[in-house]
Amino acid sequence: MKKKVLSVLLALTMTAGLLVGCGSSTETKTDTAKEETTEETTEAPAKEETTEKKADEKTDDTASADGIAGKTFAIVVKSAGNPYNQKEAEGFQQIIEANGGTCIIKEPEAATADAQVSVIQSLISQGVDSISIAANDENALQSALQEAMDAGIKVSCLDSKVNKDSRSTFVNQAGTQEIGQALMDAVYDITGGSGQWAVLSATSQATNQNAWIDAMKSIMTEDKYKDLELVEVAYGDDEPQKSTDQTQALLSKYPELKVICAPTTVGISAAAKVLQDQKSTVKLTGLGLPSEMAEYIGDDDAHSCPYMFLWNPIELGNLGAYTAMALVQGDITGAVGDTFEAGDMANSPYTLTDAGDGGSEIILGAPFKFDPSNIAEWKDVY
Amino acid sequence: MAGKSGRTIQAVPQNSAKKMIFSWEGALVVLFIALNIFNMIISPSYNITNILREMPKYLAEIFMLFGMAYILVLGDIDISVGSIVCLSATLACVASNAGLPMVLVIAVCLLVGTACGFINGIILTRFTELPAMIVTLATQIIFRGIAEILLGSGGSVSLKDTSGFNALAMKIGPVPLVFFLVVIAAVIFTVILAKTTFGRKLYAIGSNSTAAYYAGVKVQKVRLIVFTVTGLLAGLCALFLTSALFGANTTTGQGFEMDVIAMAVFGGIATTGGKGNLVGGIISAFIIVLLRIALGQINLNPQLILVIIGALLIIAVLIPGINNAIQAKRKMKSA
Repeated sequence: MKKKVLSVLLALTMTAGLLVGCGSSTETKTDTAKEETTEETTEAPAKEETTEKKADEKTDDTASADGIAGKTFAIVVKSAGNPYNQKEAEGFQQIIEANGGTCIIKEPEAATADAQVSVIQSLISQGVDSISIAANDENALQSALQEAMDAGIKVSCLDSKVNKDSRSTFVNQAGTQEIGQALMDAVYDITGGSGQWAVLSATSQATNQNAWIDAMKSIMTEDKYKDLELVEVAYGDDEPQKSTDQTQALLSKYPELKVICAPTTVGISAAAKVLQDQKSTVKLTGLGLPSEMAEYIGDDDAHSCPYMFLWNPIELGNLGAYTAMALVQGDITGAVGDTFEAGDMANSPYTLTDAGDGGSEIILGAPFKFDPSNIAEWKDVY
Repeated sequence: MAGKSGRTIQAVPQNSAKKMIFSWEGALVVLFIALNIFNMIISPSYNITNILREMPKYLAEIFMLFGMAYILVLGDIDISVGSIVCLSATLACVASNAGLPMVLVIAVCLLVGTACGFINGIILTRFTELPAMIVTLATQIIFRGIAEILLGSGGSVSLKDTSGFNALAMKIGPVPLVFFLVVIAAVIFTVILAKTTFGRKLYAIGSNSTAAYYAGVKVQKVRLIVFTVTGLLAGLCALFLTSALFGANTTTGQGFEMDVIAMAVFGGIATTGGKGNLVGGIISAFIIVLLRIALGQINLNPQLILVIIGALLIIAVLIPGINNAIQAKRKMKSA
């Protein structure tokens, strides 16, 4: 008796499973699959249908967006559950969909290059038109991305780059010159145009930080900044404790110090804590994560940091989308000197510049300013 | 213990057609066919060309299934294989970047894997009271730790000259080279497990190692061989993974041990030892891989894919238990 009940139950679940399975896919697909059993015959009509569909969509929408409608744009983020990446993907999706394209947001299983390879392979199978990727490794995606490019897919990266052979171009959030300028202006503004200031950097070999500091130094030679005196570049090695010690050393060595500029997220949060705890009059600026810096940002004396910078992930996503569209439409090829329009973005049109690694890049623009007016909104984002 | 050794006799493969169809392997074959139909329905991109293109990375993992299946049949477990892959891949890249010829790079990769497996084996056979789970957990941390030290602050190494590894990634027609190697290895390891005295020894040890010892089986020698060979297979996996990734980093091979254990368990190989065979393991490996490929093609959330695979695994583990309960009841009734 029990056995019969069990078998009936099993049969029921299986039929239910079948129905659910069929229901979730589109009608045309199930029909063709049901009618034809052999693989070859199913494939041919299915393909015809999809191409027909694509052609239809194209003719319908050509008026609104030239050549974007019916195209599929994929963005591959670094990992799932990364709010910074999520904002980038949102910005990307917004622009693609506004222009009539289809957007696929792909999160790898884990934050590894390995998992991203599987994702890229899957996107090649789907025959997408463009892949924009925030890479987990600069070189490991090369063979997968080259395969994608060989299959006619336009590959660009944003946020975190892949090597020059794996991409058409790179959408860079952090232009060295732009960051140097923004930080220098912040120092000028906070000091009131004159006085002593110091830099608290990461390690003495850190490529990014050194490039930004050099940019600041060269900007400082301009006449406007002649009353500012850079007393020291201290290195906190991107360790909270060492950064704290270095901040304290700066405070005791230079009683006249007005501003510390920390172009590193670890350094700025360590310094912020020291300054705020000691109720120091020295002010702070630099590059920091809103989530870590929220409690230190404020205009009054109780807060150590009037404002700081980092990039805006939504805008980066927007620019990534415009770049992908320009590549797909053939407006740019990825060569240095190419230019393209990026809707109503502040710095449009953008020009591709030399990335310094043999490839090209597009720089988003000046970093985004986080001040008391917007920090509450951003601190939950990243 | 008597119940356990009773199972051994059942576990020895029998060539009866009826047994085949009603066995777990038979069910897996049906599931495999059903899955392919299901995949074709849900994903328009699911065809031979795309499958073969997406597969090499997963195929590399399947190498380790063979070793893991042996280890599970022994009643042991090895959760360090992912880290062995990482260390082997790292040293292979270092060797390649140092300008060694490709033959030597391959040798380094395989030797490192073998050495790691041998270390696992030596510890486990010298100190037999130590549980394999804990020992391989420790070596998992150690092997990856060594790789991380070698990788330095950047955490990754990339090949300067990819030509040698490109040759490994070559395709014969549309079929990647690694596919043929996996098939060859599959045949060898399946036959050894099912048809040779060495295979029988594995089942004997897995069912009751004390009884096996008194029956004259050199238990520790067999364990040492199996762990070492598993290390070699992890090295082989590292080799083909590197040919897809052109480098190694601190996350290379992460989680592979669990993927491989999942494939084996879904294939009907019990973690308690003495039960299961590689036919089931291999079919289940392809079921899991093809399901992943198809669900990836329809852009299902990857975490949801993991949930689905996890759920399948639970069902696979539960079914033998339910089956046993039903049979026990039937026996009670007839008695």
